[in-house]
Amino acid sequence: MSARSPESSRMRGLLLVAGREIRVRGLSKSNLISLAITVVIAGVLAALPTILDGGDSDTEVGLAGAAASTMEGQLEAIGGYEVTVFDSAADAEQAVEDGDVEAAVADGDLYVDGRVGTELQTVLESAWQAAAVHGNLSDAGLSDTEIQQALTTRPLETVNLSDSESDSVIGYFTGLIISILMFMMLMMPVQYIAMGVVEEKSSRIVEILLTSLKPWQLLGGKVVGLGAVALVNLVAIVAVGLGVAAATGLLPDLPEGTTSAALSSIGWWLIAFALFGTLAGGVGSLVSRQEDAGSVLTPLVMSLTLSYVGSIFLLNAPGTTFAQVLSIVPPFSAIAMPTRMAIEPVPFWEIAVAIALLLAAAAGALALGAKLYSRSVLYTGSRLKLTEALRRAA
Amino acid sequence: MLEIKELRKRFGDKVALDGVSLSAQPGEVVGFVGANGAGKTTTMRIAMGVLASDSGEVLYQGSPLGAAQRNRFGYMPEERGLYPKMKVAEQIAYFGELHGMDRAAAKRATGELLEQLALTDRAGDHVQDLSLGNQQRVQLAVSLVHDPEAMVLDEPFSGLDPIAVDVMGTALKERAARGVPVIFSSHQLDLIERLCDSVVIIAAGTVIAAGGVEELKARETKRLRVRVDAPRDLIADLPGTVTRDGDDYLVEDADDQAVLHVAMSAGRVAHFAYDQPTIAEIFREAVAQ
Ligand SMILES: Nc1ncnc2c1ncn2[C@@H]1O[C@H](COP(=O)(O)OP(=O)(O)OP(=O)(O)O)[C@@H](O)[C@H]1O
Ligand SMILES: [Mg+2]
Repeated sequence: MSARSPESSRMRGLLLVAGREIRVRGLSKSNLISLAITVVIAGVLAALPTILDGGDSDTEVGLAGAAASTMEGQLEAIGGYEVTVFDSAADAEQAVEDGDVEAAVADGDLYVDGRVGTELQTVLESAWQAAAVHGNLSDAGLSDTEIQQALTTRPLETVNLSDSESDSVIGYFTGLIISILMFMMLMMPVQYIAMGVVEEKSSRIVEILLTSLKPWQLLGGKVVGLGAVALVNLVAIVAVGLGVAAATGLLPDLPEGTTSAALSSIGWWLIAFALFGTLAGGVGSLVSRQEDAGSVLTPLVMSLTLSYVGSIFLLNAPGTTFAQVLSIVPPFSAIAMPTRMAIEPVPFWEIAVAIALLLAAAAGALALGAKLYSRSVLYTGSRLKLTEALRRAA
Repeated sequence: MLEIKELRKRFGDKVALDGVSLSAQPGEVVGFVGANGAGKTTTMRIAMGVLASDSGEVLYQGSPLGAAQRNRFGYMPEERGLYPKMKVAEQIAYFGELHGMDRAAAKRATGELLEQLALTDRAGDHVQDLSLGNQQRVQLAVSLVHDPEAMVLDEPFSGLDPIAVDVMGTALKERAARGVPVIFSSHQLDLIERLCDSVVIIAAGTVIAAGGVEELKARETKRLRVRVDAPRDLIADLPGTVTRDGDDYLVEDADDQAVLHVAMSAGRVAHFAYDQPTIAEIFREAVAQ
């Protein structure tokens, strides 16, 4: 046996436990599959606004007949349309039928296959009218330049009278995604920690483990290991989400604070996980059978669910006292604050207070969870009451 | 040397241990026997630090047993515990690492143990897919992987088939031969007799007999078995309390020389020796008192 310093061998025990959790849970097929699926969903969600906008895939339209070239100029000026000019109306009609183009205009007829989007119809209509006006003016003897001048108008300028950001929809969705993610990424490891603790208790392996490890190493390793698994998942999802948003050019359009809300949610998660993770280990150790794990976890699951549901309410009521309180009071603040940060600017002092309170709560939870765990992990038999566990000698 | 001194433990009103002491010298195999609920498991759990005693101490090489030394012990708890969904080899190696081995050494030791315990072909299976006896072998491997300095095994033989009993017995003897003190509990007294150098008998939380196997047998020996080719019955002639066991006379509470004298004068003495009690008989006797 090599002579290790006590500190390094203590950390070694914790890291060995953490390593096992990562191998068993993190590298398990089910976790890898669910991570892949979630990452894909995050990517799709991030790309969704761009896809819905039509994005960079242009709408294909066909033109034929006399007004074709003028209309082509009009459509190109609007942008976002790929124009094919056909020799005859019949060719254009055929192209629509074959699905080569979405719609075609030839000699005053609009060819469509089934329905056509109102936006496309309006654009084609106005291009057709502009071409007709152009033709009429030309017939009246005006030169191209004169026609150009006559038709030039200043586009409407938008004057927004509302205070809130015009694209609060994106903020809303970002907030929604943050709250869902935080909820999932706290719920999952919390369940795993409790299940793992009960598994070790019910299989009695804890008796051998504790001849080599201190209770805090065993609990700490579990929390660190499963936390690392969840953190990797969370970071992957946030990175893919922001990455896709950046790649599709959405990022600069995002309201101020969205990116920082997404990034800071990782920090919020870390504190919240320390809080919920150790508590989960502590209450998990109160029972000896897997069937009982659910009942002792209920308070944790309830407060996580309340935080989540509260955050959804908050999304629909930004600026209210409810939003303010929920995003400051732990443990709800863990989910509510990053959610709120996504939809509205939050004063710095509120964030600072929320962090301080959550940190304090996490420290308390750490102490309580570790105490519960070390006092009850070796106790077998019927379920321990919380008060009994706290009264027991370590 | 591993010494357990004057352990006392109560669970509520129930006194589980009432001053239990026992010890194992390097290389000594100590059998720990006692009826159900006598306190064997409680003693061993206290020795391994998973249960706190009310008083008494556990010494190793003269000083109180600490966590670092305990980590070099091998322990098999009464209620077996393994990760059901972890692979056999992975699990054994993990425990090796927990006991302070580096990964390569843990893997090497795991390979050797699997070979020794005839489990090599199950190395990649999940523990929950093994039969009970094979899980037990894995449990033994877990307690042996780090080449322990001392071993505390709670009923290591329960649930094993005769071949596995031999494998387990050999493994224990082998460690003992290398100077490892071994304490194990068992209800199979023939095994204790075969494997142990000394025995500790516990009843209701108190040690009622302890000592070397041969020494105990000699101490408990009181019954003289005499066979004489004589034409007449000697029951009335022999001194002490005499009973018959077939053709033999069983004599207790008498001077053996006087008995021999009477026997020789009656005819040819075909057999004259003290009966050696089995550990089972000693146990029954001790518990009955
Ligand atoms: N956790 C506990 N709570 C209350 N009583 C206990 C506990 N553990 C053991 N006991 C009591 O202590 C006594 C000794 O039990 P122990 O398990 O040490 O016996 P044992 O000799 O190992 O018996 P067995 O041969 O059945 O395994 C028993 O009366 C038992 O009921
Ligand atoms: Mg027992």
